[in-house]
Amino acid sequence: MQSEFKKALDFSNYRKTFAIQRKTLKEKIQARLTYGVNGGIFKIDRQLLNFVELLISKNRKEGVVILDINDNPILIDNLEKFRDEVFDRYFTATNEYYEEYQKIKKARSVESLVEA
Amino acid sequence: MNKGVVIFAHNNRTLDYGRMAILSGILAKKNLDVPVSLITDPFTVDWMKEDGIFEDASKIFDKIIISVQPDTKNIRKIHDGASGDGAHCQFLNSNRSNVWDLTPYERTLLIDSDYFILSDNLNNYWNVDCDLMISKKYNDIIGEERTGYLDKRISDTGIEMLWATTVMFTKNEYTQTFFNLVDHIRENYERYGDIYRYDYRVYRNDIAFSIANHIMNGFQESDDYSLPPVLSTIDKDMLHDYDKNKLTFLITDLKNNYAAATIQNKDVHVMNKLSIVRNYKKILKMEAQ
Repeated sequence: MQSEFKKALDFSNYRKTFAIQRKTLKEKIQARLTYGVNGGIFKIDRQLLNFVELLISKNRKEGVVILDINDNPILIDNLEKFRDEVFDRYFTATNEYYEEYQKIKKARSVESLVEA
Repeated sequence: MNKGVVIFAHNNRTLDYGRMAILSGILAKKNLDVPVSLITDPFTVDWMKEDGIFEDASKIFDKIIISVQPDTKNIRKIHDGASGDGAHCQFLNSNRSNVWDLTPYERTLLIDSDYFILSDNLNNYWNVDCDLMISKKYNDIIGEERTGYLDKRISDTGIEMLWATTVMFTKNEYTQTFFNLVDHIRENYERYGDIYRYDYRVYRNDIAFSIANHIMNGFQESDDYSLPPVLSTIDKDMLHDYDKNKLTFLITDLKNNYAAATIQNKDVHVMNKLSIVRNYKKILKMEAQ
């Protein structure tokens, strides 16, 4: 029983560390998905990516106004350049998220979690 | 418009803010790639020279600005882990509003000396069309279970708390008025305590900045831009190790149990100041490489 109890405590410690690592990883990626441009701040998410792509497909590529995280109107001179930048940031951040998440998911002890 | 980071450091008998500012400065400079200046006082400079770290400071800081050491009656208990260790010490934090006069930059990011910038995220904010931005949210490393109501509001019935750990501002008439107002609130802290119903026994910049912002915004909470939430560890946690933008902590559940955790490439407020100072040589050596 004693060794079973120790195992449970070890697992409890592991889960605590895992929860903190996952939380801080999520927050790091959220920060990476923030983009400041032309005096505004954008959150790069699927909604923004879709909206920008839609505008470009409708041939609205220059002098486009988009609302930022504070719903302030921000003028984007070249929407294709903006699209490329937000797509690049999105995929860089989500790939990093995937890689780092895999590392902590595979880690099976507190030691390997903090080294991940 | 020139831009840069400013850090205050005023040593007391217990805490070596000079060392903390050097570490905070070296990380801010590396990760944001902007100049960093130090605002300090003759006593702290003398100690830095005696301790042999003034040379480090001269290499890291763009400018070392000598100001007057603030007079204070602020005494606060600082913890060093969850065991009850720590000390009562003076908090020489009452001259933060002088930053408007002392900063060498037109656009300034003011950070606490225990705020470690481990990413370039704050670079997104230099060109935001807003003269003054303060963080609106405290974000505990564990989560809501260690966050109290007084981390969100200045009192039980008070206005929202802003976190003066990170403040970005453009030097202009508006921000001059703001910082003058912060100073006025500090001078009349007890009176404002009656009006805003907070505990005025220990002066807090967070509260003075929150009230000044509330007043300047027409006695309303502002929905303008703010800096990102301040990810924080508390002083009952301990900074254990550092390895290239990666901090390892022992995080307490407030019942004397610790869990290990790391933060990498994410800005973090390390409230256990004694544990920062313990790691000074290791961090400096690693960053100097």
